[in-house]
Amino acid sequence: MNLKRELIESIDGRIFVGVLCFIAIMILVGWIAINEAARMTAFEGQYLARSIERGATMFNTNCSTCHGIDGRGLTGRAPALNSPYLFGFNYLADVDRQIAALQTEAANSATTDARKAEIETETAALNAERDAIIASLQPAVDKGYNPEEPSRLKNLGWGGTLRSFVETTIISGRPPSESYWPQPMAAWSQTAGGPLRMDQIEDLTNYILNWNIGDAWTVEDANAVNQFPIVPVDPSTVVSSDVQTIGVNTEMPTIMENLATVTGDPQNGQVMYNGALACAGCHMTAAVAPLMEGTMTRVTDIRLQQPENAGMTAEEFLATSITHPNAYVTPGYPASVMPQNFADRLTYQDLADLIAFLETQDQPLPPQ
Amino acid sequence: MSVLPWPSFLDDVKEKGLRRAIFEGVNEVTERVTAGMNLQDLREALRGEPASRKPNPRLQPHADGFWLHMRPSYFHKSVTGIYPEFRLGWLSTYFVFFETITGIFLMIWYTPSPDVAYANMLAIMSNVPLGQFMRDLHRLGAELMVLIVFLHMLRTFYTGSYKRPRQFTWFTGVILLICTMFLSFSGYLLPWDQLALWAVTIGASMVEAAPPEIVGETLNLLLRGGPDIGANGLLRFYLLHVLAVPAILFIFTGVHYYKVVIHGHSLPPGEENIGEDTAKRVPLDKRVYFIPDVLTSELMWIGITTLILVVFVTWFFHAPLENHADNQITPLGTTAPWYFLWIQGALKLGDKVLWGIIFPTIVVVFLLVMPYLDVTRSRRYASRRFAFTVSFILLAGLVVLSYMGLSEFGVKTSADSEVLHAMVMEPAHNHMGHLRPVPFDQLVPGQYTTAQFEALPGEESGVVASFNEEIQDNGQAAALLAYLQNDAHLGVSSISFVPVPADAPELEEALRTFYEDLEANNAELHNAWGGVIITDQQDGLRRADVVIVWDSVQIEDGKPVFDANGNPVLITDANGNPVIRVNGQHMYLHEDSQYFAAPGV
Repeated sequence: MNLKRELIESIDGRIFVGVLCFIAIMILVGWIAINEAARMTAFEGQYLARSIERGATMFNTNCSTCHGIDGRGLTGRAPALNSPYLFGFNYLADVDRQIAALQTEAANSATTDARKAEIETETAALNAERDAIIASLQPAVDKGYNPEEPSRLKNLGWGGTLRSFVETTIISGRPPSESYWPQPMAAWSQTAGGPLRMDQIEDLTNYILNWNIGDAWTVEDANAVNQFPIVPVDPSTVVSSDVQTIGVNTEMPTIMENLATVTGDPQNGQVMYNGALACAGCHMTAAVAPLMEGTMTRVTDIRLQQPENAGMTAEEFLATSITHPNAYVTPGYPASVMPQNFADRLTYQDLADLIAFLETQDQPLPPQ
Repeated sequence: MSVLPWPSFLDDVKEKGLRRAIFEGVNEVTERVTAGMNLQDLREALRGEPASRKPNPRLQPHADGFWLHMRPSYFHKSVTGIYPEFRLGWLSTYFVFFETITGIFLMIWYTPSPDVAYANMLAIMSNVPLGQFMRDLHRLGAELMVLIVFLHMLRTFYTGSYKRPRQFTWFTGVILLICTMFLSFSGYLLPWDQLALWAVTIGASMVEAAPPEIVGETLNLLLRGGPDIGANGLLRFYLLHVLAVPAILFIFTGVHYYKVVIHGHSLPPGEENIGEDTAKRVPLDKRVYFIPDVLTSELMWIGITTLILVVFVTWFFHAPLENHADNQITPLGTTAPWYFLWIQGALKLGDKVLWGIIFPTIVVVFLLVMPYLDVTRSRRYASRRFAFTVSFILLAGLVVLSYMGLSEFGVKTSADSEVLHAMVMEPAHNHMGHLRPVPFDQLVPGQYTTAQFEALPGEESGVVASFNEEIQDNGQAAALLAYLQNDAHLGVSSISFVPVPADAPELEEALRTFYEDLEANNAELHNAWGGVIITDQQDGLRRADVVIVWDSVQIEDGKPVFDANGNPVLITDANGNPVIRVNGQHMYLHEDSQYFAAPGV
């Protein structure tokens, strides 16, 4: 019996349409299946790209204050990640390969003497080229880069991949680095007590590894690095000097008394500020620490006007802030972030130099 | 005499010959599998011929078989067409099976744990052949199932099929509707992306409002497994989704079907006398037997419906997958799933307990008991003007409340945040920031400003140059630079805008939209101009900073204050100069990210 108001009224029509639909489904699914490999590859590429984007955002908020917004490190604060050294790029590899090939040829008994002489000239030329490359890397060498040992992982004796190196470093941080960096790198993974999930750490790793440009690293890239990694020093080999530092337990009145006996040199203070002490690493970004610019103005116009600092001189306030950072913490910043051990690292002369430098930072305050 | 110690197929072969023995064997197996129809019966049925033996073998599967005993053996001719049922009930059942089958495939690749759930999604998308296909089908089916079940309920209402004796069928139907909505909702959470987490957080927070406080808190804890949705919550939603709710759904589907068989399909309202129910008294000449007519029809519809779904996921629909769920980041414009928008809209009317708990409960209870309250006998459309009017008013209310549930309604963020969000937002709810789909090669590093649209065509460079001087003089450039360096951590040393290059039309288009957005908000963002600063970050990775600079105006209750002349009241500093405000957002764009406008948008 034919159905009333049915879409297809006859039974053979229904069977035909049904079969046609199933065939169409099969063709479509087959077509999707054929394209699956390409689609999955595209998805992977797209996902990696978006992961890098998310990693970039996190790097900008969390990592750039120490590793620099361009990833080239901050002097005295943290090493560069956007650096040929991390990715093990060897500037000398090409020349060395050519020299090695010539040496092998020279060592071959079949090589004629005329050819040997030629090889010697060529080797000399290549060696000159090699020296020129090293010379061109001089700014990087000055900052501790060694073109002869260009791989961070190799120098460190790291057995795993670069990815695992970056990933594990972010997961657990670098707690013991306190002895050679102003402060340790925090553990970032939730598994190690930090704030980030594993997928976020993967995003960050993807971003950092995206700095790798393979063979396209230029000499300028190495020279633009602000800070190379520091290899830890065995504490037993450090010879204690006769230099008398202030000492963290020294009370403020004593410090002020001794400080009165020396005259500060602002230029030397600036060198220490930007270099060895790495003050600039934090005091360059208002979000991390009070800006260097206008320090003196803020001390005289704001800090000394507050009741808890009444009766202090600007010099005393600065000396206290450096040697006992927690004695007064600028509102809006957390306590104990600034290293507490500057008094152990500074002589009275150093302290006077630093204060003299900071006293030159008397720029007017920006309008509120 | 048997060749073996027991009767065997070989005896048959010996006795009847191989051909006949095989045919009889197959015939017998067929009759057993179909619970009553042999090969000849099937052949006749599929050819549309009448049955050649008696009793009618086509009734046998309904009497003896499990699957067909819950289907009527014949229908009234009037209910087999598109009207009056529109196949909605049948489609609902279709989706129950469709979702079960696609769901089982997804289950193979899924672990209900926050640590790996999202990675499972990525694996399904990137490493499982046809994984995305199954996911898309399951998601599309879930959304459609809610819609179809709801439409089925509407149809039942309008044809009056809920009336005596089918009240209880309606009652179980409402339970099935609730199950369907909760199934769809609980499935939302499983991918563990931002969309999932926040849609479910909003939904679950309604439970928290249940009075008294101790009940609400306890229910909330039970459902979420903690103060926030985490590992426990995900596992609970998973178990509800794959075990508890489907179990209830299957049981009530059985009850619902049983009731349909018992009472028969109600005829179109016009074909019966008022108060009569003739569904079970089908005259012989009006009978359409399930086998073969309805059966072939249903098989055909399975093919048609599945084909439509497959076509959709092939070209028009992909299940969304947003970023990994993050309790710390609340996306702007979070909404509940669309079928719960009406509750979210009601919540904006006021009290959380009244509108979030009591109101939906009243709605559900009303639906459940409605057939017992409406005891009028007539199913004719003309006799039910009052019921129809009420239903249209309720439907209109549903639409209005759902509209109110959208984030566009009644949720006011500051204008600068909204304009920035519209420029850079990550793909969500089928939208993304205007700047995101701009092709990578058009994102030419440089500093661009909306001020260029103040110029006549061809005069952009002059206008932008004088704009640069203007902002240097009034201090806006310095304020912007300070913002970029200190707050946005961007490595720029100066502000110098240039016109958008001619070969970057899509960038210019995005910037123009930005300009128009700022113009549209010129009361709150007084004298505002925008900037887009594009910088190279890495090989194949660029950064775009979108910034707004404006003069601060007084805001009260989220709206700017106007003076007597209708101008916004400016906030000025001690010298009477307007206070400059800067706000911005930035995003990174990789050349392979492939942000496209969603299909159909």
